[in-house]
Amino acid sequence: MTIEAARPEAASSGPLPWHHRHLLDVDVLTRDDLELVMRTADEMRDVLARPIPKVPTLRGTSVTILFYEASTRTRVSFEVAAKNLSADVVNIAAASSSVSKGESLVDTVRTIEALGADMLVMRHSVSGAPYLAAEVFGGSVLNGGDGWHAHPSQALLDLYTLRGALPGGSLEGLKVVILGDALHSRVARSNVWTLTAMGADLWLCGPSTLLRGFDAWASRGAAGRRFTVTSDVDAALRDADVVMALRIQRERMASGLLPSLREYAARYGLTRERLRRAKPDVVVMHPGPMNEGVEIAADVATDPRSVITTQVTNGVAVRMALLYLLAGARDGGSGR
Amino acid sequence: MSHGAEAMEPVRGEAADGVTLRGWAVDPGAGREGAAEIIVAGGRLERLTWLTDAAADGIGPEGTLIVPGLVDLHAHFREPGNEDAETIATGVAAAGHGGFTTVCLMPNTTPATDDPAVVARVRAAAGASGSPVRVLIHGAVTTGRKGETLAPLGELADAGVVGFSDDGAPVRSAAMLRNALLYAGALGLPVIDHPEDPTLTEGAEASEGYVATVLGLKGWPVAAEAGAVARAIAILGDVVRDEPRARLHLTHVSTAAALAHVRAAKAAGLPVTCDVTPHHIGFADEWIAGSRRWAWEALDERSGVRDPWADGSLVAGAYDPALRVNPPLRPAADTAACLNALADGTADAIATDHAPHTEVDKHVEFGLAANGISGIETAIGIVLAAVEAGGLSLGRAIEALTTGPARVLGERLDHAPGLRTGEPADLVVIDRGASWTVSADSLRSKGRNTPLLGRELRGVVRLTIAAGRIAYEAG
Repeated sequence: MTIEAARPEAASSGPLPWHHRHLLDVDVLTRDDLELVMRTADEMRDVLARPIPKVPTLRGTSVTILFYEASTRTRVSFEVAAKNLSADVVNIAAASSSVSKGESLVDTVRTIEALGADMLVMRHSVSGAPYLAAEVFGGSVLNGGDGWHAHPSQALLDLYTLRGALPGGSLEGLKVVILGDALHSRVARSNVWTLTAMGADLWLCGPSTLLRGFDAWASRGAAGRRFTVTSDVDAALRDADVVMALRIQRERMASGLLPSLREYAARYGLTRERLRRAKPDVVVMHPGPMNEGVEIAADVATDPRSVITTQVTNGVAVRMALLYLLAGARDGGSGR
Repeated sequence: MSHGAEAMEPVRGEAADGVTLRGWAVDPGAGREGAAEIIVAGGRLERLTWLTDAAADGIGPEGTLIVPGLVDLHAHFREPGNEDAETIATGVAAAGHGGFTTVCLMPNTTPATDDPAVVARVRAAAGASGSPVRVLIHGAVTTGRKGETLAPLGELADAGVVGFSDDGAPVRSAAMLRNALLYAGALGLPVIDHPEDPTLTEGAEASEGYVATVLGLKGWPVAAEAGAVARAIAILGDVVRDEPRARLHLTHVSTAAALAHVRAAKAAGLPVTCDVTPHHIGFADEWIAGSRRWAWEALDERSGVRDPWADGSLVAGAYDPALRVNPPLRPAADTAACLNALADGTADAIATDHAPHTEVDKHVEFGLAANGISGIETAIGIVLAAVEAGGLSLGRAIEALTTGPARVLGERLDHAPGLRTGEPADLVVIDRGASWTVSADSLRSKGRNTPLLGRELRGVVRLTIAAGRIAYEAG
């Protein structure tokens, strides 16, 4: 299989119309960029459907996966994606490296580069950490989630999954609700950019304590594209086309942001009863990992309208597309 | 035009002698500005002639400025304890380069300046530097700045400190602040409070609001500053009935809401003063997202604060750790409020909060970076940019850098900033028409932690004379 097999037809002659050396946030992606990721992910899904789901596209490319936070699905998904493209993969869990001896991020990244890495996929608990890595790393940095800030590959796989689940594949004018703890959620922030870019009527809903600051953002919009912020769950869910529930973490109780998980489940949990307010064919999503019975009821998670498992499957195709596009920009492109 | 550089080549610390200066003199002490010729001989300001008619031709406020030596109420020179970041010697060199002839050092050293021995040590280092820049010292309010027991304020006063502060942190408890205001008041010294309610700012990274939310940074709410300012003013109002000499100075005030409390307290006649910093005037919080326009350019008269994501002004990488500072950079509406407070006298002074840090402490993830900006050398450039943009009059700007802070210090300052004949010359010559590039090579401070690295700043300090001696002269 050649590179051409995994290249979108529209771009099969000449360089890809992709100009981003790094993927640190989705705020820089235009609608054309998003469409290109979607089309490329389609090609990758075709690869995944083959008996041997592997192409030599990134043969000789070294991808280092550096995770400072525990993660199963994102880390494994990137690893599978890179291996499907025949990249050499190095996995570094921060707890088992010299990071735990106090090595700085800058020194760690320089070391990784000296060991021959071409691409760096990183997860970090501090917002903005990948920007520091990109400043010193000679190759491409792909943000696998930083603090509360961004989770680009998750937002792109969410978008990809929605296009597959919605009739006509278009989000234009559809009511999409993100329900839960937006304050601490990089998934919510990245989805604000991508969903509004695709024309969705976006609503963020949760207890006011978990939405602090989002009113200020909503009133400016994402590059001018407005969205709605409310703590009124009934108003948010009314006639919704898509509902995405976010994970609630126990630490939120200790810091006084929520009285209890029980109260959260009662007032904001995505139950069958509550879901009746949405359109009958509503699409249900969750970025995982789920607290079943808290932010989402078990029977909603497994409802036929839920695409939660598809999100995970699509994650590999979308991450293959991202690695492929960034590798192309690294070879021939320039810019952010 | 000549400022004497050709006539003589004095080394730092030598008496200024035979120096003839021509330029636009601003003397806030005398309430006068205009074309002038100044002759300095034997370290003294021998003659000042206000020029008129043909003699004043070609001299204007856009060219060479001659102003009294600048006074900084708030700087960190890191000695003792963190000499990798700055020493007294590099700090005073930076001060001279920035046009400052008097600096007041904050006590958050290691050990803290909570004992006369530390005061003596700092003073000895200042003497050994050979620089004529006056080094004044703020003592700690509480032992170890821990907020638990009062430091020996009387002994520190006897050792010559000019004020008391637990800067870096607020005076923690209201009871301790009350006692400190009473006790320091009896000693004739101000308490300089860093207004912050720490229960609202735990782990905070950026000013709460739009920019912090988009960037996923933990918000530092306005209420943390406004609430602390209101608390301190309420305590002061209580204290002055018992101790009329009590004085409160609020440092690095950064929000419109807090400045409104100060404005009201001043109107009520309370003995409160405050300062604002150059970075809270010049840089808005959008700089953390990668904007580099001046804060006043981020404000639209019709629609308010501009959106850097929508108008294409994100030109630099996001999350530059040089921008992590406490209090955090604020939205342009607050930066404008700081300028307005200077214009209407609510803010008495511009203080640099010069906070040098090492690469090890600063070249890290934004949320893990030490707080602070190295700013004593770029202060005048930022302030003059604000003047040029029309946000502040030249006279008021110079006042806030000279006589304003001098009034906060009171009689503990050994001179009154001004251009007076017969006294030791204490002045700065600034070429407003020229520019310099801020860089690791051009900064005298060890702290290169400024977001202005690589930027051209208008306003070049040509000559700084402190107490009659050369503190800095451009090569």
